[in-house]
Amino acid sequence: MISLTHYLLVSAGLFCIGLYVVLVKRNAIQILIGIEMMLNAAILNLVAFGRFDKANNGGQLFALFAIVLAAATTAVALAIILNVYRRYKTIDPDKVDQLKD
Amino acid sequence: MNRALTYEETKMAYHALVAVLSPFAAFVINCFTKKSKSAGWVSTLAVLLGSVISVVVFSHTFNGPDIHISSIWFTIGHTEVRAGLLLNNLSVIMLLLVNLIALPVHIFSMAYMGHDQHYARYFRYLSFFCFSMLALVVADNLVLFYAFWELVGFSSYLLIGFWIKKENAIKANKKAFIMNRIGDVGLLVAILLLYNQYHTFDLQVLFGQGSLVSAHIDSSWQYIAFGGIFLAVAAKSAQFPLHTWLPDAMEGPTSVSALIHAATMVAAGIFLLGRVYPFFNTLELDFLVIIGCFTAFMAATIALTQTDLKRILAFSTISQLGFMVMAMGINAYASSMFHLVTHAFFKCLLFLVAGVVIHEMQHIKDENQLDFDPQNILHMGGLRQKMPLTFIAAIIGGLALIGLPLTSGYLSKDGILIQAFEWSDSKAGVYKIVPIMMVVTSWLTAFYIARLIFKVFFGKIRVPDILSDVKLNISDGGWQYKAPLIFLGICCIYPLFSLNPFVYEHSWLYRAFISPHNPEGINSYHTIIPLVLNIISIAVIYYAYRVYVQERKRLPFAQNSVLFNLSLNQWYFNQAYQTLFVKPIMALAGGLFWFDRHIIDGFIKLLGATTIWLSKLAAGFDRYIIDGLLHLAAAFVQYIGNFVRSFQTGKLQYYLISMLAVVVAWFIFKTLI
Repeated sequence: MISLTHYLLVSAGLFCIGLYVVLVKRNAIQILIGIEMMLNAAILNLVAFGRFDKANNGGQLFALFAIVLAAATTAVALAIILNVYRRYKTIDPDKVDQLKD
Repeated sequence: MNRALTYEETKMAYHALVAVLSPFAAFVINCFTKKSKSAGWVSTLAVLLGSVISVVVFSHTFNGPDIHISSIWFTIGHTEVRAGLLLNNLSVIMLLLVNLIALPVHIFSMAYMGHDQHYARYFRYLSFFCFSMLALVVADNLVLFYAFWELVGFSSYLLIGFWIKKENAIKANKKAFIMNRIGDVGLLVAILLLYNQYHTFDLQVLFGQGSLVSAHIDSSWQYIAFGGIFLAVAAKSAQFPLHTWLPDAMEGPTSVSALIHAATMVAAGIFLLGRVYPFFNTLELDFLVIIGCFTAFMAATIALTQTDLKRILAFSTISQLGFMVMAMGINAYASSMFHLVTHAFFKCLLFLVAGVVIHEMQHIKDENQLDFDPQNILHMGGLRQKMPLTFIAAIIGGLALIGLPLTSGYLSKDGILIQAFEWSDSKAGVYKIVPIMMVVTSWLTAFYIARLIFKVFFGKIRVPDILSDVKLNISDGGWQYKAPLIFLGICCIYPLFSLNPFVYEHSWLYRAFISPHNPEGINSYHTIIPLVLNIISIAVIYYAYRVYVQERKRLPFAQNSVLFNLSLNQWYFNQAYQTLFVKPIMALAGGLFWFDRHIIDGFIKLLGATTIWLSKLAAGFDRYIIDGLLHLAAAFVQYIGNFVRSFQTGKLQYYLISMLAVVVAWFIFKTLI
């Protein structure tokens, strides 16, 4: 029997992997992938907790919204990455450091 | 004021006021004429006006009742100090005398000082002096008297040091001024004591008819006040012990010496004695006798050996002033005033003669480019032929000074001597020495003035290095030289003072001052003394003639004997004062200067150094502690800023790590607490 704890553990593992990817990788696309993984970990939690609202399926519905929103933000993020590339000829976030003071 | 004045008397008082103020007006006018030659005329006309008015005043008021006008000057508390004029015989005769002496001197000065570049300044001072002196003689109270007494001293100071570039003149005027200050202090003390005793400054109330002081105060204050008055008299009239300034004062222009240091200012001391005469008691009068007698004798002995023409005359003046002081002491008040007047004329005449001689000697010196002292009588001689009028004037002046009959000096001086003998008769035997000393002094006078005249006018000129064939271009000078000499010469002969040339009691001037109830002592003195005195005087003159003109006799004492040196060095008074007073005072001053320089200044410097040290300390505290705190705060803020800044690397993942770290830290924090 797969209990709620198992879902939460998978979700936490997934979040940690995503976090690690975001912090470590030297490619903006990979960081974007890491962000998606963290987002999916959160969606997994929503779905897992959705069992407590069987009447309205609020968890599933909210997960669907989140997936749509994730797609939209990914599109925006990709556009930013393209623009960054066009300007710096690189997508290594270490090299893009004009945000510093 | 005891009685109402008549219209005539009031008019005379205002006339006198005009006579006093006209030299002052000349002084004010001359203050605005810097370079102009008109200064001499302004001053001379002022004195001429003063003379004419004073003759009018004199003829109306002499031997008349006292005229006294005054108005309130200032009030201190309940004390009203009045200022005004007091015209009695004493002041009226002085008013006339000062003007009559000043007039020829002014005329003489116009020629004598004509080439001086400070001509206008000279007449400014001279007018100012005349004003002070005239105001002094008519002042009616002691405060006013004191003020003009000081001004007379001050203008004398200005005139002695007239040639401000002459080192000796500056020394001399300082000396004169300082010695006069001693007398001034004495006079001030005496005035204050008199006021304290009698509560008035008014001369008439104090010393006039039925005066306050005639009831003698029997206390030591009397003697202290007398001491003050005596100091004042001794300083102004050059009596021992304050006489040493007068010979040095001869550094001024000769015309000044004639007016101030022979005839008028030095008479101020005698005038003061005359003003306060009722104040003295017998003991004090005896003191005056001793001082006057000693001064007369001492100055006459000094005059014997001096070689400077003007110095001889200066010592002669001191000697004659001694006669006057002594005459005051022996109750010969009238003779003293009489001698004051006659002396003023003949001494002024002698000084003007000296002025002409010095002027001509200077002329010889300049013309032949020689180098010698034009005042030294050893270089003169034979001026008789070249300057006949000056010679005659010198003879008249000299005879009057010796006191030979037919001159004014005979009338006044022999009067003094006769009364001195009479006075000594009423005293103990030891007082006989006074008239004997005065007689000896008279003979000494005859000798030194004869020596002077013979040296200057007889023989032939003894200027060193002069070529024997050189023609001397000297003469009596213009009318400005001649007229004063003639005028003063006439004033030295007897008819001006008495119709009888042999009896002094018949002189109008003597009679004016004598109190009516004074017994007219007719005794053998009146014939014997003048006779003996004059015969020996003539013998002395003849002796001097033999020594100095014929050069047949030699002087009875060597030129290097003790007595000769004593006389030549003026009895060593200058050296004694130098050692006794000047040196200790200079040493004290030096000591005080050292104290000031090292102790006072040192203390101030220490204070300054301490303050600087303290302020450096404060500056250090300010810089390192106060500023340091601020810098520390700033550095702390900067450090924090830099620390926070270090997070802003611009690298995306660093931000994320920071955020993560903060979130983690927050949870750890929550867990721990």
